[in-house]
Amino acid sequence: MLELYKKNSPAIHKLLSIMCGLAVWHVLATVIVADSSFLVSPLAVAAKSYEMLFQTAELYPHLLASSSIFFYGYLLSIAAGVPLGFLMALSPAVRDYVHPWMTTLYTTPRIAFAPVLLLWLGIGAGAKVAIVFLGCVFPILINSYYGMRVVNREFVELARSFRLTRLALFWKILLPASVPFILSGLRLALGRGLTGVAIAEWFGATEGLGYLIFFAGQTLNVPVLFVGVTAFALLGILGFEILRKVEEIATPWRKKLQT
Amino acid sequence: MAIPILELRNLGREVAGRGAEPFVIFNGINLTVRDGEFVSIVGPSGCGKTTLLRVINGLLSPSAGQIFVDGKEQNGADGELLMGFVFQGAALLPWRTSLNNVLLGLEGRKKNTPDAQAIARKYLDLVGLSGFEQHYPHELSGGMQQRVNLARALAVDPKILLMDEPFASLDAQTRSFMQLELLRIWSQTRKTVIFVTHMISEAILLSDRVVVLSHRPGRIRSEFPVPLPRPRDMEIKSDRRFVELENTVWKLIEEEVKAAGGFAKL
Repeated sequence: MLELYKKNSPAIHKLLSIMCGLAVWHVLATVIVADSSFLVSPLAVAAKSYEMLFQTAELYPHLLASSSIFFYGYLLSIAAGVPLGFLMALSPAVRDYVHPWMTTLYTTPRIAFAPVLLLWLGIGAGAKVAIVFLGCVFPILINSYYGMRVVNREFVELARSFRLTRLALFWKILLPASVPFILSGLRLALGRGLTGVAIAEWFGATEGLGYLIFFAGQTLNVPVLFVGVTAFALLGILGFEILRKVEEIATPWRKKLQT
Repeated sequence: MAIPILELRNLGREVAGRGAEPFVIFNGINLTVRDGEFVSIVGPSGCGKTTLLRVINGLLSPSAGQIFVDGKEQNGADGELLMGFVFQGAALLPWRTSLNNVLLGLEGRKKNTPDAQAIARKYLDLVGLSGFEQHYPHELSGGMQQRVNLARALAVDPKILLMDEPFASLDAQTRSFMQLELLRIWSQTRKTVIFVTHMISEAILLSDRVVVLSHRPGRIRSEFPVPLPRPRDMEIKSDRRFVELENTVWKLIEEEVKAAGGFAKL
């Protein structure tokens, strides 16, 4: 028994933590608040989720809409952020031109852009993807830039001492050295991207988890509201797990460092 | 007389200083090294030993003077691959296994892969690391990392091996073993080596000649041939000639430190 615990203690700790959280939530909802128009128990959320998934199947279009907006916004951020970050690290001129925009846009609350983007791009997918993109691109851009800038000076000297070409320096040294930084940028962007989805769908959407939450809030449908929030949370967890797998495959040499 | 493998003529390097005066790291360095010679460079901290090594390799450009390898003048890091550099901090790429780290320099020379693999394996074996080909750097001890570092520099079959305090970060015991290992490896490869170190006994144990640099701006203060037979082992450290040379070099460095304004000013 003790042996079993020692082997799986991290997993057991995590499971216990979740169970405790759910128990507190349940007691809070049923005993302390005891008003289902304010707070419902996790059991009620589970029941509602089951209904929306397997009986009415009404959750799927929302899930699909939110996921695809997130997916496109995230991919676009990687496609733009990583190369631009690299260019900034490699060229002082590019850095000087991009840096003021990067810092300004990164620190401006994205919610301020949402109405403007909807005005310009309409209430279709374009504006929503753009809002997600604005959320994701900066952490990815900044980490790609930073990761390539802080590459160990001796590594660069090593390449030069072997008379490697500039191209080889990039592919064999600078790029692999930046990968861990890019991955942590992707992790930061994940949370910001999901927030972006919620914001985008609050403004003039007809489907999506953000819309679902917003609509449920307006109509005081507390169980549905919690179903939407839970779905966002689970999407986040799924995203983190995928990134963890990607990290394992892309940086096998770091495996031992982490455990 | 045969053409020396390495010749430094009036070599100097300076960088922008705080005021109008440039900051001179070293100047007027003249040094001739013959093929197969093991030369150590010692001197007080901050005398520019490490910078000198980087200038010789072309990683930094000289402000004055010329560098000749086999009689041919060198033009910085765009030139031919003639030297191997052994870094102080090992500088192993953490995403590459030992074997792939050793292969790095060979990839730059576009050697075909099976051939390069065999060469890399040969040098890992030479430094005593056969069986560790697939290990990542973080799985190796400090001493083993320096062995890979050395194998990587040797694998490109350089005319000159430049070693920048490669054992400085090792504990005293590992350091002694690595010195013996280097003696063995050197006797098997007979490379020309320029070895930078703080440690006088290390310089004497390993070298044919010890070059002492002055305090900044670094100049060659003195040169001493090491009158000790090879092969050498740790017992040679108690040889009268070893002890005398160590004392002589130490006194010189002490003078240089005093001239620089004392130990606290270094």
